[in-house]
Amino acid sequence: VFPGIRRANLKSFLSRAPIIFILLFATAVLAFLAVSHLVTRFRQQEKALGRHLYAQGQAEHASGDPERAIADFRAALTYNRDDFQYQLSLARALRDSGRTGEAKTYLMNLWERGPEDGAVNLALGRLAAREGAVSEAIHYYHNATYGIWDADAETHRRNAEFELINFLLQQNALPEAQGELITLSASLPHDAELEMQAARMFGRAGDQERTLSEYQVILRHDRQNAAALAGAGDAAFQLHRYRTAERYLGDASKLDPRNAPLEESLDSARLILQADPFSHGLSNAERSRRIRGALDNAGKHLEACAKVQGISFQGSNQEGDAQADPLSSDLISLHKSWLDMQPKLGRPSAAAEPDTSDSVMTLVFQIEEQTQKQCGEPTAMDRALLQLAQKPQGADQ
Amino acid sequence: MDSPGSMELDPALSLPDAAPVRKLGRKSLSGTFREDRFFLMLAVFIGLFSGLAVVCFRLAIDWSRIALLGPVLQPHNVRLIIAPVVASLLLTVLVIHVFPGAGGSGVNQTKSALYIFNGFIPFKTAVGKFITAALAIGAGHSLGPEDPSLQIGASLASALGRRMNLSRERLRLLAPVGAAAGLAAAFNAPISAVLFVIEEVIGRWSAGILGSVVLSAISSVVVVRWFLGSQPLFRIPPITLARPSELIAYALLGLVGGIASVIFAKGIAYLRPRLRTLPRWSHYFQPAVAGLIIGLIGYLGAPQVMGAGYEFMDQAMHDQFTWQMLAALAGLKIFATTLSFTTGTPGGMFAPTLFIGAMLGGAVGGLERHFWGAHLTGSTGTYALVGMGVLFAGFLRAPMTSVFMVLEVSGEYSIIVPVIVANTVAYVLSRSLQPVPIFDLLSRQDGLDLPSMEEQREENILRIEDAMRPIEGPVLNSTETVHEANQRIQPSLSGANTFLVRLSPAGWKSVTRELLQQSLSEGKSELSLGSILTGPPLPILHPDLPLDMALRYVNQTELVPVVSRADFGKLEGVISSDAVLSKYRQ
Repeated sequence: VFPGIRRANLKSFLSRAPIIFILLFATAVLAFLAVSHLVTRFRQQEKALGRHLYAQGQAEHASGDPERAIADFRAALTYNRDDFQYQLSLARALRDSGRTGEAKTYLMNLWERGPEDGAVNLALGRLAAREGAVSEAIHYYHNATYGIWDADAETHRRNAEFELINFLLQQNALPEAQGELITLSASLPHDAELEMQAARMFGRAGDQERTLSEYQVILRHDRQNAAALAGAGDAAFQLHRYRTAERYLGDASKLDPRNAPLEESLDSARLILQADPFSHGLSNAERSRRIRGALDNAGKHLEACAKVQGISFQGSNQEGDAQADPLSSDLISLHKSWLDMQPKLGRPSAAAEPDTSDSVMTLVFQIEEQTQKQCGEPTAMDRALLQLAQKPQGADQ
Repeated sequence: MDSPGSMELDPALSLPDAAPVRKLGRKSLSGTFREDRFFLMLAVFIGLFSGLAVVCFRLAIDWSRIALLGPVLQPHNVRLIIAPVVASLLLTVLVIHVFPGAGGSGVNQTKSALYIFNGFIPFKTAVGKFITAALAIGAGHSLGPEDPSLQIGASLASALGRRMNLSRERLRLLAPVGAAAGLAAAFNAPISAVLFVIEEVIGRWSAGILGSVVLSAISSVVVVRWFLGSQPLFRIPPITLARPSELIAYALLGLVGGIASVIFAKGIAYLRPRLRTLPRWSHYFQPAVAGLIIGLIGYLGAPQVMGAGYEFMDQAMHDQFTWQMLAALAGLKIFATTLSFTTGTPGGMFAPTLFIGAMLGGAVGGLERHFWGAHLTGSTGTYALVGMGVLFAGFLRAPMTSVFMVLEVSGEYSIIVPVIVANTVAYVLSRSLQPVPIFDLLSRQDGLDLPSMEEQREENILRIEDAMRPIEGPVLNSTETVHEANQRIQPSLSGANTFLVRLSPAGWKSVTRELLQQSLSEGKSELSLGSILTGPPLPILHPDLPLDMALRYVNQTELVPVVSRADFGKLEGVISSDAVLSKYRQ
């Protein structure tokens, strides 16, 4: 009946079967408990070892040794394979050691596990930025901006956005950077440091109007912020609002009198304001004086430049010289125009007449631009005139 | 699952009137069910204990690796050279003097237990295998824990069976049950373990044991997952196959994998017997020399080849090596594993095979992507994963297991087509270049003639249809009179002596010319043919049944009807003892 069991042992076997299973069960339970204890102890030791290696790796990474950090992070991961932080740190170390392919694979794995994770998206964004993949970087930076962060999410999101803008500025993607900045500045809390950062970035993005506005926001809360005053002055200067620039730069200079570049900007602004013949409220005499002075300065600059270039204005044949050297002919032609202008300014108030003043200043600007092009290194006054040339009628706003 | 009781009902006996046979079957069911339940419960306990043993085994390997090689496996660390040498010397002494059965992989030892030693594997072997393999793998020998786990499981099962005073037959069956449990626990993959045991150890699908094998494999995996987690062995990168033409790239991987498998197998086949014929004193130092060479490989820059290397397979799958590095690692691992294994160091070949496959797959994938990157959507990781299956199919020659193993360790079923394509190419190529599979080769080198599962699988089975012949003479009906029947079998119409009679409503009997003549002479000419045939109906066979089946019946009757499975009244042919024997003689 029981072919699998020896006949002699059949009876005893049958009677013992339940007991055997009870014994087996009891043994299994005891073995289970023992192994459980063993595994717990071993896992604790492994995790401690993993933590130690992770900390070691972080220290090495921070000290600029990503290669050693990679080995430690990898070893840490063998003891805790699924630890997110270990994996993220390994991916970062791989990225920083230039092994972008490996880093990307690791990060993509993490991303698949948590596509909404801010840290992973930020790391992927940085990786894409390092590779110059603009659209990919924007995608991951945006994910990081709207992603989930374990702690201090707002700061992380803002930093990710600043990082994206910085990357776009480096890539000279100015319209995109401006777009991101407008969004960011609208959501910035009142924090002078953050607003300063945004203002500087607006400046780098070429949006001087918003740069100035951003600095003015800061100055509304703190009129003594020297950096904001200097920034606002610079932005106003770029916008050719020299009076405004003078005001901000002057205030900044009072707070930071040893700042040489600041002083230089302030001097430039003042010089422009002093030289500007189009300024409102000037008397005819003063306007005439400024125009006369600008023309004289341009003439001097022209002669100095011709001298440097070895060009003589005496007895030059314009057509013949033009065939020989176009640059020389430009200077000669400008000199001729300059000479032709002199009789028109014979009367004291002639320079103040609108037609005359416009044609004189046009010639001045042409001379300044040409001489700068050919001879470089203009004087302060020449620089001021060049600034005015950029926006002749708007300097006094 | 079919019970042994139901298995006693002969499938060939599709008799309409098989009541007596069924009755016999029912009688034996009550007894066999009890034994069957006992065996199944025992299988669960074997799975539990094997699972616990494998958990401890894996901890022991990890612990010895940390203790011997240090927590970080980095080149230019002198421990990488010293540890394998010292550990090898110690484990060699243990294997030679204390645990003589602990050397080698464990698969053939389990097969030997099944086919030669009636399922007997000493418990001491499990202990020895546990200690020595943990020491060897932990010290950096290029071997894996799977085959030892298989043997540990089989050994535990054998010990439990002996403790229960089980019969020889049951003891024999317990070895593969334990083997499946051990392997399933080591791989964390119950289906692959069951398939491997069927493909490589038992060699056939047997309903009597399948249930126990599956139960033990599942219970051991439950234990392992309880303690070590349920995540798959590898984290799998995204898998894509955009165009069917990409399968050509995977076929190419199969080709390279097949060649690598042959190199690997031939290396072992060449070196192993030569090392074994060296003087006995040299056997004490062979594993240490192998350990020294492997340690030097690790010291000089490739510590990845040391140990089982699962973490590096994972890294290969995640594109963390260049294809050149992957190719170098594959080559070094073949060399290192050949050294470790041929010197008799305890440890398995599964993990190294997967390692070589992963590295080779990654290398081939990387190379292909380098040249045809625009046309290939599979990542290097995908190729590494497929490469594992390729080596498994080409080197271990377990084609079914190779496919399911990849699916199971990855949990990714979308990869099945590339895996099948590449594995088939590798398997066919390996078979043509290396006709003897590695496990058969090893057993023959050991002087054992264990059944070759590959040969068994591909054996051309003779079937009834190969030996049956058309019926000679008329087929009579039981409703005909004796007189009518006699008219139809006149010698001028048929030269046969025995004729088949179709019974009404179903079944077959036979009648001889002599019996009809005798009935006529007794004045029974108007009786129906059915009334003069008193014996039981003839057994019936179907054309697709194995020819062996016919042997059971051809001695009982001159002709056995072969009928359609769809219509038992439709005669396909007849079979006789002469026809069967003549077919076997061909």
